[in-house]
Formats: sequence, C-alpha cells, structure tokens
Amino acid sequence: MNKSTSIFSKYPIPIFSLVVLSFPFWFEYIGGYPGLDTKILIWALMALGFDILLGFTGYLSFGHAIFFGVSAYATGLMLKHFSPEIIPAMFIAVIVGTIMAFAVGYLTMKRSGIYFSILTLAFGEMLNSAALSTLQDITGGDNGLTIPDVKPVLFGIRMDGLSMYFLAAAILILGYYLARRIATSPFGLILKAIKSNQERLEYTGIDVQKYKLGGFVISAIYASIAGSLMVIYEPYVATEYLHWSTSGELVIMSVMGGVGTLVGPMIGAAFMLYFENVLSVPLGEEWLLVLGIIFMAIVIFLPGGFMEGLARIKKRYFNKSNKEEK
Amino acid sequence: MTKKSDVSKTVSRRSILKAGAVGAAAMSAPMFYARNAWAEKAIGNYPISGDTMMLGFNVPQTGAYADEGADELRAYKLAVKHLNNGGGMLETMTPSKLTGSGVLGKKVDFVTGDTQTNPDAARTSARRMIERDKVIMFGGGSSSSVAIAQQHLAHDLGIVFMAGLTHSNDTTGKDKRRYGFRHFFNAEMTGIALAPIIAKEYGKDRRAFHLTADYSWGHTQHDAMKRATEAQGWTTVNNIMTPLKSTDFSQYLTAILNSDADVVVLNHYGKNMVNSLSQAVEFGMRELQKNGKTMEVVVPLFSRLMAQGAGSSKIQGVLGTTNWNWSLQDAGSQAFVKSFEAEYGFPPSMAAHTCYCQTLLYANACEMAGTFYPPEVIKQLEGFEFDGMGNGKTLYRAEDHQCFKDILVVKGKSPAEKTGEFDLLELVDTTPRETVTYDHKIFGGELGSYEPS
Repeated sequence: MNKSTSIFSKYPIPIFSLVVLSFPFWFEYIGGYPGLDTKILIWALMALGFDILLGFTGYLSFGHAIFFGVSAYATGLMLKHFSPEIIPAMFIAVIVGTIMAFAVGYLTMKRSGIYFSILTLAFGEMLNSAALSTLQDITGGDNGLTIPDVKPVLFGIRMDGLSMYFLAAAILILGYYLARRIATSPFGLILKAIKSNQERLEYTGIDVQKYKLGGFVISAIYASIAGSLMVIYEPYVATEYLHWSTSGELVIMSVMGGVGTLVGPMIGAAFMLYFENVLSVPLGEEWLLVLGIIFMAIVIFLPGGFMEGLARIKKRYFNKSNKEEK
Repeated sequence: MTKKSDVSKTVSRRSILKAGAVGAAAMSAPMFYARNAWAEKAIGNYPISGDTMMLGFNVPQTGAYADEGADELRAYKLAVKHLNNGGGMLETMTPSKLTGSGVLGKKVDFVTGDTQTNPDAARTSARRMIERDKVIMFGGGSSSSVAIAQQHLAHDLGIVFMAGLTHSNDTTGKDKRRYGFRHFFNAEMTGIALAPIIAKEYGKDRRAFHLTADYSWGHTQHDAMKRATEAQGWTTVNNIMTPLKSTDFSQYLTAILNSDADVVVLNHYGKNMVNSLSQAVEFGMRELQKNGKTMEVVVPLFSRLMAQGAGSSKIQGVLGTTNWNWSLQDAGSQAFVKSFEAEYGFPPSMAAHTCYCQTLLYANACEMAGTFYPPEVIKQLEGFEFDGMGNGKTLYRAEDHQCFKDILVVKGKSPAEKTGEFDLLELVDTTPRETVTYDHKIFGGELGSYEPS
C-alpha cells in the first residue's frame, strides 16, 4: 500500500493511466462486465469535475445534473437529427453546457453555503420539470429521448464496446491531468483560498466573484462532457439525467471517496456504480439500506472518505515513510 | 457484445470454411448485401453456450411500484418452475409446443434486477443481465417509460424484451421496436372498450372534465378517452394536467366543481389515482347533482392493487378497464391462480399475470422456431394466435407487437358485495377483440430491422 501510494505521488498520471487503461481487462474478475466499466469512467469524470468546485472552493452544488442533463439532451438531439458523428454533437453539447453554466453560475454564485445549494437545486428542478412537461415534444417527456437506429461514430469508427471505453478513458486521463494542473496553478490556489476565507481574499483586492464563476464553469464543463459521453455510450436520454437525484448521487460519491482529493471522488463513483450494479444483486431489495449504512459509517468514522481510510492505513503501518513525505 | 469463442464452439470446420467464403464475399459486396448471406449469425447472446437458458427479470424492487414488482417476480419464478417441471398454464395454452421439461432441451434459469422505476437504472441493470449473465430474453417493468427505455436497449443489443405492465400507447406505438413485445393492453383499447359502456350507463349527453397525470402515459390515456367519448356524443369541458408527484388534488377538484361538467375522468394510476379518487369522494362528487344528473367518476385504468389502496367504500360503482382479474373462471386463469395461490397463499395481480404469460409465450416461440436465434423467434411471435391464457383468443399483431384480446370492463364492488380481502372488482362487460382492434398506422413509429446493425 505504502509503495503504491508513494509511487503514485511521484508519477500520478502514468499510474492513473495504467489503472484506467487496464481496467476492462481485470474488471470481470471482480464481478464486473463490459459496459459498466465505461459508465464508471463517465461518472468518474463528472465526480472529478465536481471536486474542482466542491473540493477547491467548498461550494456544494446540488444542481450539477443540469449540465450533465442539458448536454446529454443536446448530444441526443444532434445525433438524432444532425449526424451520428460525435464531434459536432460533443462540441455543441459542451457549448450549451458552458452557456448554461455561465447563466446558472452568474445567478447563484453570489450566495454561499446553504443558499447556493438550494438555488442550484431549484434550477435543476426547474429544468427537470421543463423537460418533463413544457418541452416534452423535444425531450420525449418521461419516455426519455429515444434515438432509434443511430450508431454514434468517431471519424467513421463505431463507438461501442472497447472503442467507446478507450474514448472515455482518454478523456478521463486528460481531464485528470488538467485537474491536477489546475490544482497546482495560481488559479487553483485562489479557488482553495476562497474555501478557507473568502472575505480576507476579497480584501487583498482579488475579484473573488470572477474566480468562483471560473471554478463553477470548469466544473460544469466536466459534467457536460460526461453527459455527452453518456449518450454516445448508450444513445438514449433519460429525464433522470436532469433530476436532482443525479446531483445527489454525485455528492454522495464525492463524500464517500474524499472531497478535495481529486482521486477520491473517482473512487467513490466507481464504488457506487459497482455497489449498485454488482453487489446489489445478492443483497436483493435491501441493497439501498446497506448502501445507506455504509454511507453513514463513512460520514461518521471516516469524514475524509476512502482517501482518509487509505491515509490512516498508511500512517499506521508505514509511519516512517509518511513522515518522510511530509 | 458477442464473444468469438461462443461462436467457434458451435460451428464445424465446414461451416468455418463456408463462413470464410461468405466473409470474402462480404468484403467485396456492400454490407447490406452480405447481411442475409449468413443465415444464423451471432446476435446478442445467441448462440447459447452450455445447457441453461438464462432469462432476466428486471422489476422495480425499490421505489413507488415495488409492490407490483414483487408480484411480478413471484409470477416469473412460477413461470420458470412451470417451464422446467410442467403445470400452470402449460396445460391450458393452445397451441403450445411447451414440454414442461425446459426449452429446446435446455433448463430454464433466471437472474433478477432492480429497475428502481427509473429508465436509466433499468437500462444499467438490463445491461448487467445481458453482458454478464448472458440472458437470451429479459422482461419486466411497471412503467411505460422504463419499458420503452429497455426495449430500445434490447433492440440495439439484439436481446428480446417481453414487456410487463406498461399501458401507454407509445410502447407499441411511436416507440415500438422489433425486439420489444407487449402482452398488456393499452390506453387506446381502454378508450374503445370503456366509452360505449359509460355512454350506455350514464347517457350520451354527458360533459366530461379530465384530470390527467402529466407524463406520457397520462397524455395517451387522456387522448384516447377524449376521442372515444366524443365519438359517443360526449363533450369534453376541460382537462388539467396534474404533476406526477401531486398528492393533493383539491385545487383541481374545485375547478371541476366550478365548471358545468357532470363526469370526472381520472387519467391517473397508482398512488395518483388512489389520492385523486379518494379526494373526489370526500368532496362529495359522487352524490352531487349537475345538469340534472348525478355526477360520475370514471377511472380508465383499474387494477386490483389500486382498488385495495382506495378501499371498497370509495371505489364502489366506479367503472374502468383492467387487463385481467384473478376471479376469471376460464381454465387458463384458474390454472394460473391455483398454482400461484398454492405457492404464495394469495391471488396474483394483473401485473403478475402479464409477466407470467409473456415468459411462456417467449419460451413457446423458441420451441416453435426450433432455435433461440432471435429473428426466428420474433417471426414466430409475430402474428401468433393463442388461447387458454386468460383473455380468450389473443393475437400478437405482427405490425406493432401488440397483443389483441377481449378487454374487461369492471366496476368496483361495494363493501357489502365483496366476499374477501381481494374480491374488489366485478366484471361488467367484455369488449370483444374485434372491437378494440385499431389501425396500427395511427401512432406512427418503426419496428426496425430483425438484425441489429
């Protein structure tokens, strides 16, 4: 454990890439199956982006489903009515997601704490009911947006199975690399400063609002790309993508994995999907209850999530090397 | 999706040579031309390796429809038991090639999943069954959106989907798919069957006010009821779309009281219907005099589970339609009810019945085709006419994969009339299959190809 984590801190990107790229080849030995691995990566990407907002600035958004859902619909409509080629679809989806992020961010980022959370939640619910009723001629209402007989392609290559997996993997690795760059950049530092003391930062003359909005939009772009990938992976858009429960799940993943660690939320996402789809089978109808207990146990005993768990193990058994690192 | 090793296990050296020749031809010929060249290529999880035929039962185990999901699962388990050991409707279904000792020499086994009444979760769960557990067919569901989401996935992956409880016209209408089949009836049939009866009972000059659950099923149900009742001479005064999550309907009921309508049509299902009906009764709507007539409440889609929820004091005399009821006296229904009661101690719901029938129908189609090859099985189901499964002579229409059968118009029993806890619905009339058969073209939609591309 110690070796791998210390190696990890030396070569984070190569090791992360190795794990992600080899994932589909060993996943079936722990009860996984093709398809779920891709879905895990897509959720990991969203959780990663979410950590840039929650982990760095401390702003808890309950409306991240907005960007995931809106870009999923944009991708779906593009694939259905324009072309099965994914590049224009993803491009438009990210643009739509970004515009949405600026609009929502501008209106909500002025508030903080619970007010911010509630505002984002309200925006999410508004869009969800719009998709269900007002816009149902476009979105397909609760039937979801069905895209029959469309096979998404990238430069003519069918995106399914492993090709889809590696597309998601490439984007996730790039996303992780950028997130780490952001974390160590001056911009990331300011985001973290916002978390620790926003007022003091303002007194130094920094336009906090601008940085907060920047963090929010970057985080939303991750969610937009994830939403777009989701529809390319399976050409169908469920209204649940816009539902607050999608945002809620994201929060749970982040808390379980460890907020602010970048890797943690991704592990949280993998754990949640693995639990929901693999471990839930032997548990039957009680699986939600068990998941709830695990979540509570983590919040009470391991507030830092799985990452804190790893750190504690490390500290306990490999105390020396831990000191060295510090 | 399909592993090459599965194919090579079942093909001989000669067929490999043949396949090689076909492959060579495919390279020089356009793709669509080559598709028909190889008669039985691997589709979805066909061919089956091993001696077990795996079925996937994806039902709501958590969420609002968990009760129905649990009942569906009971029926599925019973169906598997009967397919392997005989009994139940295997003895009454005609024509039937089912032997009661597995299907095509393979033992029937199953895996289950939880749809959470959520299309996205249902698809993920279905995908697990398909990719990991290698199911050859899957079914279930207790909501139209979930059924539609799954049948699109089924079509993309080449696995037959036998829908459970789904009543929206869209399932076999604009969202129909070659790999999706529905035994349950739909909103259109409800309208055609119910309108003449309520017109006869309540008069031809009625003015109706609709309350409709604001989602796809509600819309198709409202639309069908409006057309069918207006054809009988009724006037539709107004319709209010009520949010799916509403629990308090008093503002909408007040609007009805303030209008000149004398019939209330509740296009609601499940908890929505239990709440709106109960509140309408509490508003005194069923004793009210309007336009010189007694006000009436109509519930187009009735189920025994909903009747139980509302209670017989509220549902007494209310008219509606249902797919099937356990009190039916035909041999098929009796065989099913008896074996279900013997196994679980209480009668099955209509959701259980449709899931049970669907499993048997699929297994029988495999026997008739002599193979599990999906296109052949689908062709056997298309246009298949059968009897002895509880609804009289039934046809699986080839054009839209919708079953056509007699529709039951039922009335809620009063507390005095009912003989037991589950005895809540009284059969008023049966609308013959010919009457409820509509033109499949009215809803549009495409089934798509037999072989997923």
